[in-house]
Amino acid sequence: MTQLQEGIYHRPGKRPGRCFAILFLRARSTDAREVGECFARLWDMYEGLKRGELRDLPGETVKPGDLTILVGIGPNAFRLTGMTRPLPAGLGDRARFLSPKPDGGGPLLRGAGLSYAVDVRENPATEELVVQAIGESELAVKRVVVETWKLLQDIADPQSASAPLETRTFYLGFQRDDGRSWIDFHDGVSNLRSEEREAVIVIDPTNVSDQEWTFGGTYLAFLRLQVDLGVWRGLERREQELLVGRDKLTGCPLVSLREDGTPVALAGCPIGGRPITATENDPIAEPPTVTDERLLRSHIQRANHHVPSPEDPSTRRVFRQGYEFLEWSPSAPGFRAGLNFVSFQDTSIRLLSMLTQPGWLGGTNFGGDPATQSEALRRLLLVYAGGVFLVPPVQDGERFPGAAAFGLA
Amino acid sequence: MAYSAPGKADDLSPALVARWNDAIQATWDDLAALQSRFMTLDPGQLREPSRAAVKWFGDPAEPQFCIDEETARALSDWGVRGRHALHNEYCEYAVVHRRDATGKLRPKRVQVTSELREYWSAVAVADPDAVREMAARTLGFEPSWRDLYGVDDPLALDEDAREIAFGHAVAGNGNHARLQRAGVPAQPTGSLNRDNALFMTHPINGLDDLVYILLFGAHPYTVREPGGDRRPATREEIFISQNVEHLACRHADPAAAIGAHGAAIAGRTVAFADPLGMYLQSLAQDLFLIRDEVVPGEWVRWSRGQEGMRMRLEFGPGDGDDEFLDDIVVAEGASEEPLTGGYQLLKQVEIGPLVLAGATSEVREREFEDLDVPNPTITCREADVCREMVTLKREYDREQGQARVAQRVVGPVA
Repeated sequence: MTQLQEGIYHRPGKRPGRCFAILFLRARSTDAREVGECFARLWDMYEGLKRGELRDLPGETVKPGDLTILVGIGPNAFRLTGMTRPLPAGLGDRARFLSPKPDGGGPLLRGAGLSYAVDVRENPATEELVVQAIGESELAVKRVVVETWKLLQDIADPQSASAPLETRTFYLGFQRDDGRSWIDFHDGVSNLRSEEREAVIVIDPTNVSDQEWTFGGTYLAFLRLQVDLGVWRGLERREQELLVGRDKLTGCPLVSLREDGTPVALAGCPIGGRPITATENDPIAEPPTVTDERLLRSHIQRANHHVPSPEDPSTRRVFRQGYEFLEWSPSAPGFRAGLNFVSFQDTSIRLLSMLTQPGWLGGTNFGGDPATQSEALRRLLLVYAGGVFLVPPVQDGERFPGAAAFGLA
Repeated sequence: MAYSAPGKADDLSPALVARWNDAIQATWDDLAALQSRFMTLDPGQLREPSRAAVKWFGDPAEPQFCIDEETARALSDWGVRGRHALHNEYCEYAVVHRRDATGKLRPKRVQVTSELREYWSAVAVADPDAVREMAARTLGFEPSWRDLYGVDDPLALDEDAREIAFGHAVAGNGNHARLQRAGVPAQPTGSLNRDNALFMTHPINGLDDLVYILLFGAHPYTVREPGGDRRPATREEIFISQNVEHLACRHADPAAAIGAHGAAIAGRTVAFADPLGMYLQSLAQDLFLIRDEVVPGEWVRWSRGQEGMRMRLEFGPGDGDDEFLDDIVVAEGASEEPLTGGYQLLKQVEIGPLVLAGATSEVREREFEDLDVPNPTITCREADVCREMVTLKREYDREQGQARVAQRVVGPVA
């Protein structure tokens, strides 16, 4: 019996915790079993954290903060010696992002409008393992980062001072309670409906027996996206609304343009004056099909063509579960704001294709018509890291999801 | 109203327009048992019509969900055998080969078509000169009568005999009982529409299936929850209730049927926009590179239909170019692979008819169609068609003289 790991909040009534951390663990050992054993110890420690138990405080308990932990396996793991499972079908080269150029920058994908920031020379999200921690408190998720370091330090080989795994990097994020993003517009409003999600997320069985171990799991795609708020705030409200496809204040989807170019939002929205994120507005939060070319080029129309039957990867629907971030930066304006984009899907082709197909987000950084946009607007969003990982299903008896692939019983 | 020629690709005489509309009407009439107020054959009847998103990607889905993508690619690119067995998402292709300077036979370009066989057959039966002129414009050379009808003088045949002759030579039987009874095989035996992709011949890619799948979806199917509330039926419930669960895992059928169902639930009526046809809606051209640059525009030749209604794509170098199809690289994710056939191309092509949906209206209590599906689960890999896929793969492996494709071990179909 298999089931999806925790940390994917797809069921009705289950809301993700407010705080997020994602760790990328690099294998220092080339031996799969050694790496697997090391991660099994980490996994046991994470299980303890979920109960409020810390290794350095035996007998004491702390508030676990509704912590959930999810593990993903990256393509590089399948180069370790002794891996007992083949590369998952969804981690092949076709389902992966390009690397940044050695001197920085470069496209995320051919045909996409997203690029790496010029100061990104290496993509830190390509390590063997990823750990996603979600909790209700900052402490709960930050503790995962520190406790990971502690354990790896404790088990490090005294000679080399290294453990089979090391934390290459980690990112933190938070959920906003206003349902908006840093560009001030509502975000995540037109995500998949609850009843549609599982069919989009879960890897369906095929008749390829060596892939069986992945059935019932999912693929996690991660992008660390910075948004240039200076460029964004240099746009008039109307320009912003045309790029997004929603009214800036209400979040209501735009349905047409007046002759003078003024956007017209869906009539009767929001219902009863309630916020667009309120349940009453669920039936109208999904943008309707529009015919105006300028609206068709908006972000929400490009990202969702309203093709029915989302279980078909042709629809390019994904289940998004992102978290905002804000961090210090040495460059003006002194901080870097953006989104930890996280999506779950049965094949990452859904996302990659959405990012490269014309009429979808292909050739487009965020929205609008790239042919008429300034260079600055074509670099509104910049990538700092990106990766795709298999999230193996939970299998009875495994020490952690996917442990058998590392040769662990 | 009268539907124009698909894509408005041909300047038809009024008589031929009438023939095409007769074919559409006959198809519609054959499906009378499925008709409801939620679909009309006349888009002029719709109030406040707006375009509905009914489209999908053209790559054959069945070998992919039954086995895997590598197998799907190998089998789909298996010449006319692959076309006849697998090209059933309303899009078919043929690969044109040429010899290179060393004498090696290599793929030169891909011809893709989404044209309906019923349209070509309607013209061919009524006006052989017109169909030959259409074929000449499509292919760039004038085919002989024998190529088109298997005889030297189709004008000497009566219309029934012409339809049969055209079916044998280029159109197949399209699953039409009368042609089957007359001994016309499912797929054509002549070389014109086997060596080339002149129009679609897979029986599933027919006008009747296209109308059927939209019509069958255009009902407000619902399910009563235990508490008595009504909710829209799911894809699984709809396809199982109509005994067509084998269609649920494909690209085309769920996209069309569930789109129409969604409209019906909202009390909207759907119709095919004029002209009725199947169209190639987009191509991710930027993913196809030659010497690290996007392929030149002259290697992407759209035809058979006006802008936004193209039904034919010829992709790849012309005979005068030194390059071959497999000199083109497909950049997908972090992968860059030579373009070796049509499957990789169709993965980047969106297909669909033009469908309109009218204004919302109240769905009356008696109009809801409550479904009772005790076990609404469809496991795609267990579809009957997967047995055919496994058999086909074995035959392919035998022909290729190898036991496996891409290191994939295929287990028994449950």
